[in-house]
Amino acid sequence: MDGQRKHPIWAKLVGYAAFCLVILILPLFITDDYLLNKFARYLVFGLVAMALSISWGYAGILNLGQAVSFGLGSYCMAMALKLRTIPIQTGAEGLPDFMVWNNVKSLPWFWEPFHSYGFAIAAGVLVPTILALLIGTFVFRARVTGVYVSIITLALLVVINLVVIDRQRLTGGFNGLTDLAPLELFGLTFDPYAHATYYLIAVSLGAALFLGLAVVHSKTGLIMQAIRDDENRVRYFGYDVAAYQTFALCLSAAVAGFAGMLYTLVMAFASPTFLAVPVSLSIVIWSAVGGRASLLGSAMGAIIVTGVQGSLSDTPAFLETWTLIMGALFIVVVLFLPRGLISLVDRIPLGGSARRRAAAATVAASRSGINAG
Amino acid sequence: MPANAVGATGGTILELRDITVEFSGFVAIAGLTLDVHEGELRCLIGPNGAGKTTALDVICGKVKPASGKVVLGGREITRLEEHQIARHGVGRKFQVPSVFRDLTVRQNMEVALCRAPGVLGNLFRFGNSGASEQLEKLAELVGLEEAMDVAAGALSHGQTQWLEIALLLAQDARLILMDEPTAGMTAHETAKTAELFNRLKGRHTLIVVEHDMGFIKEISDIISVMHQGRLLAEGTVREIETNAEVRAAYLGSGGISGA
Ligand SMILES: Nc1ncnc2c1ncn2[C@@H]1O[C@H](COP(=O)(O)OP(=O)(O)OP(=O)(O)O)[C@@H](O)[C@H]1O
Ligand SMILES: [Mg+2]
Repeated sequence: MDGQRKHPIWAKLVGYAAFCLVILILPLFITDDYLLNKFARYLVFGLVAMALSISWGYAGILNLGQAVSFGLGSYCMAMALKLRTIPIQTGAEGLPDFMVWNNVKSLPWFWEPFHSYGFAIAAGVLVPTILALLIGTFVFRARVTGVYVSIITLALLVVINLVVIDRQRLTGGFNGLTDLAPLELFGLTFDPYAHATYYLIAVSLGAALFLGLAVVHSKTGLIMQAIRDDENRVRYFGYDVAAYQTFALCLSAAVAGFAGMLYTLVMAFASPTFLAVPVSLSIVIWSAVGGRASLLGSAMGAIIVTGVQGSLSDTPAFLETWTLIMGALFIVVVLFLPRGLISLVDRIPLGGSARRRAAAATVAASRSGINAG
Repeated sequence: MPANAVGATGGTILELRDITVEFSGFVAIAGLTLDVHEGELRCLIGPNGAGKTTALDVICGKVKPASGKVVLGGREITRLEEHQIARHGVGRKFQVPSVFRDLTVRQNMEVALCRAPGVLGNLFRFGNSGASEQLEKLAELVGLEEAMDVAAGALSHGQTQWLEIALLLAQDARLILMDEPTAGMTAHETAKTAELFNRLKGRHTLIVVEHDMGFIKEISDIISVMHQGRLLAEGTVREIETNAEVRAAYLGSGGISGA
């Protein structure tokens, strides 16, 4: 009996706080900046997997285009940083190098506002959100459900990926945006190996987890879960289901866009490979492995899977078989732990669950009839 | 009949006017006209395929009629979306019990308790916003007070039926549409349901689709009989039982009591 294993909210809060504490004190134990950069990357993946958990795990929307939000966020940040790079050929006021190579004479209009960090950071969140708003309104008003939503979001990802690669003069095409200046904000420099970058990411992930927890425990979060269970039933209680679904998709896109921006900081480039199908599928696998109906579970799923992958990547022979390992892991989890690794934690008995077990027993006993009272 | 027909004298709350429903050519409802009074408990009966469920579907907006109109409390609701109709005070229980199986009984009730339907407003609402006592009472009413923290998917069939009824009470709709509420219930459970429905009369208006004549006799004021998508007859239990047309309609399905 599934629903009874859930821990009370305080136990969850303790778990989330413990996780945040661990990621915040981690730099004290890591002296190698290269390693810290790796961990920062894993945390970004944790953030984007947690974002998927909002739409998939809670609202039942399997968004296979999560990499669109991630990639757009990444490009928004990269554009701002690219404009701060002083090009070798043309000097301080010059065009980004790839535009010069492509014979672009003046900065395209949509690049102009990215001279401002404020605009770029807002855009990194808002561009994916607005796109999600459009898609969500279109798809959910038309009552598209289930696998068809996944197909539409996947198709959108493929199209945007092709456009970004194709418009080389504007986007850097296949090469993406490289040779970026580090982000300088509040007197701090966020280059890939800086502690500041790691802390920015760790604090972002922690904040996102707690804010996300507040959302999924609000009434809106409850309605999202009810929609996941039986969206038609929800309608007849007076809720506008499409509005809730669109909200879940938008919130998920906003967080994923933010994660994308952070990813540009740790990688120091943006690439169309961030905005591609393999990334989307990986996010789904991370979330499924960790537990899609848990924000922390999804984040930890991403961190564990990419962490293992990262430690193997130093040995090329293992990397070859990585896809296989990941696929097998996915199947094993789906078959034997449909709620992901986090469901193992849910099985740890706590004080409060004895009462619930008693209640469950009562229900079982009265299964065939209703208490006369 | 009915000392318990309190409030059945109120004004008309629901009017169906000349409703026609077609499913790709097949006419499921053909010119149905029906009036229901405020506070009344109306039973809707008829042989299998008569169009009873479809009639409820039209009222709650699940099915849009090809022609005709639905008026609720003086306002036409024919073309509104399902959630808008629900906000006008229509609640629906489905023939196949439908509850949120992954959510606990308490959470199910919190969903049904739709004080404000907006997405952004609900972001700042936590727990059951002071309605906890009301929910406990409802759970007690349907015998689920011990099961508040149990996932709805773990309930028995009868309990699931009761939970859905409790959800409708939490929703507190003016007009409640019940499609075969006692299906799959034991005799004891059915008797309890009849008792509950009699208590709801007056405060709510109910339309109950049923096959169980014993149950109908316990609860009904006026019965409407549908046959082949039309209203065939209307009257008290006695009138309906002795109506020749009704008898003819039920021929071949084992008579009205056996339906
Ligand atoms: N979605 C649909 N598509 C096609 N035909 C349908 C659809 N829904 C109902 N029908 C048909 O319309 C007719 C009326 O169906 P309805 O479910 O309203 O009957 P009912 O009176 O509720 O019957 P029962 O007592 O068996 O529940 C039936 O012949 C049914 O097959
Ligand atoms: Mg029916």
